[in-house]
Amino acid sequence: MKKLIGIALVLFLLLVACSKQLDETNADKQTAEARKNELILAIGSEPEDGFDPTLGWGRYGNPLFQSTLFTYDADFQIKYDLAESYEVSRDGLEWTIKIRQDVLFADGELLDAKDVVFTFNKTKNSASVVDLNNMKKIEAKDEFTIQITLQEPDSTFIYTLATTGIVPEHAYSNTYKENPIGSGPYQLVQWEKGQQIIVKANPNYYRKQPYFQKLTFLFLSEDAAFAAAKAGQVDVVSVPAASGESKIEGMRLIQLKSVDNRGVMLPYVVSSGETEDHFPIGNDVTADIAIRKAMNMAIDRQLLVDGILNGFGTPAYSVADGLPWWNEVTVIEDNRVEEAKFTLEKAGWKLQDNGIRAKDGIEASISLVYPAGDQIRQSLSLAFAEMVEPLGVKVTPKGKSWNEIEKVMYSQPVMMGWGSHSPLEMYHLYSSSTKGIGYYNANYYSNANVDNYMNKALRTTSQGEAMKWWKKAQWDGETGFSAKGDAPWIWLVNVDHLYFVNEKLDIGKQKIQPHGHGWPITDFISDWHWKE
Amino acid sequence: MSKILPLSKRQRVIVSILFSVLILAAIIVTGSLIGEERMAIQLASKHQAPSLEHPFGTDWLGRDMLVRTVKGLTISMGIGVLAAFASTIIAFALSILSILNKTLDRMVTSLIDLFLSVPHIVMLLLLSFVFGGGYKGVIIGLSLTHWPSLTRLLRSELLQIKSKEFVTISYRLGKKKLWIIMHHFIPHVLPQMFVGFLLLFPHAILHEAAITFLGFGLPPEQPAIGIILAESMRYLSVGMWWLALFPGFSLVIMVTLFDALGKNLRVFIDPFHS
Repeated sequence: MKKLIGIALVLFLLLVACSKQLDETNADKQTAEARKNELILAIGSEPEDGFDPTLGWGRYGNPLFQSTLFTYDADFQIKYDLAESYEVSRDGLEWTIKIRQDVLFADGELLDAKDVVFTFNKTKNSASVVDLNNMKKIEAKDEFTIQITLQEPDSTFIYTLATTGIVPEHAYSNTYKENPIGSGPYQLVQWEKGQQIIVKANPNYYRKQPYFQKLTFLFLSEDAAFAAAKAGQVDVVSVPAASGESKIEGMRLIQLKSVDNRGVMLPYVVSSGETEDHFPIGNDVTADIAIRKAMNMAIDRQLLVDGILNGFGTPAYSVADGLPWWNEVTVIEDNRVEEAKFTLEKAGWKLQDNGIRAKDGIEASISLVYPAGDQIRQSLSLAFAEMVEPLGVKVTPKGKSWNEIEKVMYSQPVMMGWGSHSPLEMYHLYSSSTKGIGYYNANYYSNANVDNYMNKALRTTSQGEAMKWWKKAQWDGETGFSAKGDAPWIWLVNVDHLYFVNEKLDIGKQKIQPHGHGWPITDFISDWHWKE
Repeated sequence: MSKILPLSKRQRVIVSILFSVLILAAIIVTGSLIGEERMAIQLASKHQAPSLEHPFGTDWLGRDMLVRTVKGLTISMGIGVLAAFASTIIAFALSILSILNKTLDRMVTSLIDLFLSVPHIVMLLLLSFVFGGGYKGVIIGLSLTHWPSLTRLLRSELLQIKSKEFVTISYRLGKKKLWIIMHHFIPHVLPQMFVGFLLLFPHAILHEAAITFLGFGLPPEQPAIGIILAESMRYLSVGMWWLALFPGFSLVIMVTLFDALGKNLRVFIDPFHS
């Protein structure tokens, strides 16, 4: 019996310990005056791959230590950063970029075309998340001019240029990811693995010096970060939706709109064979457009936002809500249960005695797989199942590990999340050419018209033109990949990113945040300042 | 109690056995009567502190925590029954093996030592992972890790019986081993086995909750107590204490009841043993 009570006690203590855990190393309180020009932030997880842009660092948000050729402003307009001008040849294949001549790395060396060439070659050859296969070659025309030749025209290439930080050729080695040197606003002072990084302003930065000379990023668990904020030990802290309604003295809540979306990916084809790795493809229920459309109609997205995200979010209708390439007409009127029932009835899905519809001997009964540790996705899945139940569609939520999800995602609906600052993601999700490749088009969606529009969008050399084609691919009046058209996805919500920020701190206007909470908020960190 | 009610020790034992059985039966009955619809999401009434309407409060999806807790206890009990039963069978089979001959006995005792030398929870995690997790993994894991101490007990019991006169006489009379097992061994260890089964129960339930809590057990859409506790963690820091307190406390009470039931039953069956 003693042992039993012991085990029960340990369970309880574990709970208490986990909620009370606090990082002592950083707990020393400092007065506001002492750290007038420094900030302590607890905004997210430690980047596992370190701070090497050629391995993907800075892909979401700002690379902080490095700078990029182009950058976006808060409205997603492309602006020059390192680049001074650029030209694209008429066939869209040759990109000529001139860069600034006055840029120094933090170690005092000049940044020239060779460094840019080195960065992109290195990125292309690294096995990272960055896909540069379309880049045929990159060469330095003179000390400050770069020419890039593509295999095929690609209007989204500019977004790759805007997210890849330039690394110095002379200071690059295998340990670069731990000792990044770049031309960005800050340089790394110290990285205590698993605990924190300390950065200071880069004196050689070619733009306005950042207001804050020293930043400390703490890597704390959600609970520990929240506790640290309550104790007044951090200036900026990211919090989950559950903590959004709490109050922290001396801090205000900042609620950033995002395209960090969640939606259900529905297998688009009927059961048909296996992938190369012998995982089943297709689902006979969701292959029926009536089922996909009816569920899209019946969901009450606003209720999901209010109920599950505590109001900290927006209804989602596409993978790119609010971004320049988003087509506003894809917003559908939802919570139309009766109409959804009618759609199913008309398509031949008849109600059986058990309350579940069936057609040609196939029962409208599906699983909805979600990653087991993710509470928002779990809650969304449970709520989704209840919302479509009145239609006569039985949805069984199933929590699985990502490993298991990779085996079933070609044949079962999955609660996914995306949201990037490049339309290339849209291409990957909906193009026939990416069917069954990784997570992207795992539902085997394909539509010749959509492919046609998206290829046009990629091939054009004008950004304005590209936006027009991206929008057409979503809905052109007759077809498209949005809920109005083929509806291969049921987009549910965009999750707001919540931060508690020192009430005296002004972080300016932020972009619509991408998938991935935390680092993206540092995007304009060199403009942050105390309010007068 | 003896002062309030003039009961003998035996009567007191009977009363507490009845009490435990009654409460446990009540949990099982209510738990199995709870349908899906009682656990439905009610987004309008989420994050509610305990009240008369929701004695255990509600969670972040507005589900009634009392309903979830009772359902969770029933699930735990179901798993406990299966696992403890399987463990008891394994223990019995191994203890019979060990009295057949010296070599088998040595093998069984070293197997017991092996299982007892590895930390229980580690063994359990490994096994349930190997068998694919979920219900199946947990039940197999629990069954395969709870037999050693009971086997040891049954074995020593059987060794005692084996050297008793009536058994040796049966041997001399030319009875088969199987006959002796059926007519001498089983009837004698049956009560021990039953009590052992009941005492394994709380262990199995707590271990189930523990590995589920750690994320290696039941799937997260089940309202198992381990899941409820793990989920409650992220809400403790925002002050929703009732999510962890009541379910955790209920688990402790149920385990204590089972333990009391097992111990009282032992006194009842074998009053002069200790």
